Amino acid sequence: MLEFIYEFPFLLIDPPNLRIRKPAWIKTPSPMMVFSFVLFSYFLVTGGIIYDTIVEPPSLGSTTDENGHTRPVAFMPYRVNGQYIMEGLASSFLFTIGGIGFIIMDLTATPGKISLNKKLLTFMGFAFIIISFSTIWLFMRMKLPGYLN
Amino acid sequence: MNRPTKLLNRKTAGYSSLITFAVLLLAWLSGFSSRLFAVIRFESIIHEFDPWFNYRATAYMVQNGFYNFLNWFDERAWYPLGRIVGGTVYPGLMITSGGIHWILHALNIPVHIRDICVFLAPVFSGLTSISTYLLTKELWSPGAGLFAASFIAIVPGYISRSVAGSYDNEGIAIFALQFTYYLWVKSVKTGSVFWSAMAAVFYFYMVSAWGGYVFIINLIPLHVFVLLCMGRYSPRLLTSYSTFYILGLLFSMQIPFVGFQPIRTSEHMAAMGVFALLMAVAFLKHLQTVLSKTEFKKLFIAGALIAAGIVFLMVVLATVLGVVAPWSGRFYSLWDTGYAKIHIPIIASVSEHQPTTWFSFFFDLHILVCAFPVGLWYCIKKINDERVFVVLYAISAVYFAGVMVRLMLTLTPVVCMLAGIAFSCLLEVYLKEDNTVSIPKADETDEPAVEKKNLYDKAGKMKRPRHDNSHEANGLGSNLKSVVIIAILLMLMMFAVHCTWVTSNAYSSPSIVLAFHNSHDNSRNILDDFREAYYWLSQNTADDARVMSWWDYGYQIAGMANRTTLVDNNTWNNSHIALVGKAMSSTEEKSYEIMTSLDVDYVLVIFGGVIGYSGDDINKFLWMVRIAEGEHPKDIRESDYFTDRGEFRIDAEGAPALLNCLMYKLSYYRFGELKLDYRGPSGYDRTRNAVIGNKNFDLTYLEEAYTSEHWLVRIYRVKKPHEFNRPALKKQERTISSPSFVSRKTIKRKKGYIKNRPVVVKGKRANKK
Repeated sequence: MLEFIYEFPFLLIDPPNLRIRKPAWIKTPSPMMVFSFVLFSYFLVTGGIIYDTIVEPPSLGSTTDENGHTRPVAFMPYRVNGQYIMEGLASSFLFTIGGIGFIIMDLTATPGKISLNKKLLTFMGFAFIIISFSTIWLFMRMKLPGYLN
Repeated sequence: MNRPTKLLNRKTAGYSSLITFAVLLLAWLSGFSSRLFAVIRFESIIHEFDPWFNYRATAYMVQNGFYNFLNWFDERAWYPLGRIVGGTVYPGLMITSGGIHWILHALNIPVHIRDICVFLAPVFSGLTSISTYLLTKELWSPGAGLFAASFIAIVPGYISRSVAGSYDNEGIAIFALQFTYYLWVKSVKTGSVFWSAMAAVFYFYMVSAWGGYVFIINLIPLHVFVLLCMGRYSPRLLTSYSTFYILGLLFSMQIPFVGFQPIRTSEHMAAMGVFALLMAVAFLKHLQTVLSKTEFKKLFIAGALIAAGIVFLMVVLATVLGVVAPWSGRFYSLWDTGYAKIHIPIIASVSEHQPTTWFSFFFDLHILVCAFPVGLWYCIKKINDERVFVVLYAISAVYFAGVMVRLMLTLTPVVCMLAGIAFSCLLEVYLKEDNTVSIPKADETDEPAVEKKNLYDKAGKMKRPRHDNSHEANGLGSNLKSVVIIAILLMLMMFAVHCTWVTSNAYSSPSIVLAFHNSHDNSRNILDDFREAYYWLSQNTADDARVMSWWDYGYQIAGMANRTTLVDNNTWNNSHIALVGKAMSSTEEKSYEIMTSLDVDYVLVIFGGVIGYSGDDINKFLWMVRIAEGEHPKDIRESDYFTDRGEFRIDAEGAPALLNCLMYKLSYYRFGELKLDYRGPSGYDRTRNAVIGNKNFDLTYLEEAYTSEHWLVRIYRVKKPHEFNRPALKKQERTISSPSFVSRKTIKRKKGYIKNRPVVVKGKRANKK
């Protein structure tokens, strides 16, 4: 009975004698490949890439000061649900830097590193986190002048 | 986790469970109390728009019983169509609070149903943090779970939907979501029918509570599918998914609003497809055990091709024949992001359906937005079946949160979980003692994280973490470690400060009562215009009066004024809304035709020009035009409402169509006479910073009935046809035929006379003037 089932298709069709080999470049992606891909898309999404495609804001804004000169403005002030393209990318870059800082901090724990190396790594990760944190803080103050007052 | 299996003696087990209990309790308490800003500042009231309907429905259910609620036909909404409430609502929320009400009353605790509704979401936030703890514990470790529980208790992304008074589906749905995922992960791990059946039961609760259940029924099949693709098929997976899918399908079809959708719409087809696929894979696996290798290979290729072809044809056929409904617009707009903007203005008009900017990510998640990729990194690095799930959850939720601000809510729990994992791992690295004296400490990895957690909750007093032995044999120096730890703690403290600040300043406004700071004497003023106007409506109009307003205010009018509305926030009938939009954006005459055809008695508009309230109807006006244009493109054109240079202006340069439309006239009726400032011009609109362009006009077909104290709500009465349908004459010009007039002509005296002829009375002079 089973033999009939699995041989039945071949009564109707004659399979060509092909030799299909899986191309060498198709592999299961390595975990870190997956992660870097995910991190990159995270970078784009938190930068509001979807907002940019739907609303189509300019990449930088501009204002006219009292002398009539146009000055570029990087941040759309006081508008919390609006942004320029560059400000979004800048802040999501900082988010990502902060994340990488945490990962570097963790890498210090991997065994087999000399002490100086570990210290440098810790310092670097620490600097990443602090820089991203304080810069985002500044950005927030630009967007929302009363932030944490 | 590759933690050494613990040899817990009784004492440490006792401590760790005590710490777990304490942390969860504290998380619950702090989460509950930080949601009470609105209640403390204002009073225990229901917020915003949708909660008012939920509250009204709950009150109806409590009064009339569950079955009457299911059969409730609400003739006071969507006049003249009405609304079948029982069949168009997710009843889980009402049943939950109604059940609590019933239990409390059975215990003789007389609590008003309104208070239960107000405090439901804060109470459920505690349950959410417990279920997040359980889920994270399954995925990683108890320490990470405690972190995640504390994060989700106060994270603004979740608080935004669950402050006290915000009585909405999301408040309980996030709990149901997290708990369903917990049970699902548990069932995948154990492969037991019990856990997957429990997952199906909680899925049922989720379906009854929120339309977001579609997220579950797509994410779980995606998990199964990816596991299959990764070659991680196991009999456990077969058991848990098939049990979950079949039971969940049957359960979800019990909700009247959902009905047959799970087998008929495209949103649910993925689950069915994965079910078929899983069955096919299981069958093949079984054959593999029976057949020899070459036989199996042949069969596999042929079978796979045929099966794929059949499934594809079936889906195409079913869609073409209309058995399976295509994607609904709301879901379609998630994939094709420009779709809503072009085709469905009513979806695009809601502010919470706007795409997300970077600001919202940081505002709602703060430091977690940085820690999120780290947790993801850990999960991908040490992947297993259940971590595949959390990775998929994270990726899909990030994408959806980017598309809509509102879906930030589904992102928040997974961000908390992954950030919990990240922080717990980081502290594991930096709190571990450099134990050169290598005694394998059993509770090493677990306890420090737990302990830290406790510190974090009470950000004020920090216990010194224990790293007293200062030797730099193989690890980092203890100084460096303590610096890092203190920095992390400070960061977490900043997170707590940020959360509290955001909650207090951004998410605790009831939006029914407005508060503003007076900069002169630093006092806080409360504007209660909405309730004032709704109360006026309920007291001064006929019980069956029909009130027309823009759909945003439909639920509030029904809930607070108890009057019939034409459209409300349940935007199921686009053409009806478009009709109202057309009435608002046409001239008075034309809209009078629409209003009489709809039996409108009163028109209500929200006007913020006096106090500078930006969420008023003039600012929403373009959406009314757009929605009306979608249905009546011949009568309404959006371009008419812009100036030649494409600006939307209300001053004298504004487009004539705008200056003469009904909404403009109702908002600015007699506003030109009002001088807000001694020096400023009259008719100065503070919201749009302009002097209005059309000042002196009269209303023919409507008359002003009520205007609230700060002009925020203006109500107009629509005149009946006999009230204006004749030439208006001034009083002096009126000739009134007196009924007492008797003709002096009789049969005998046929001489005529001239009316008003000066009568000469004999014997007197005619007086000359």
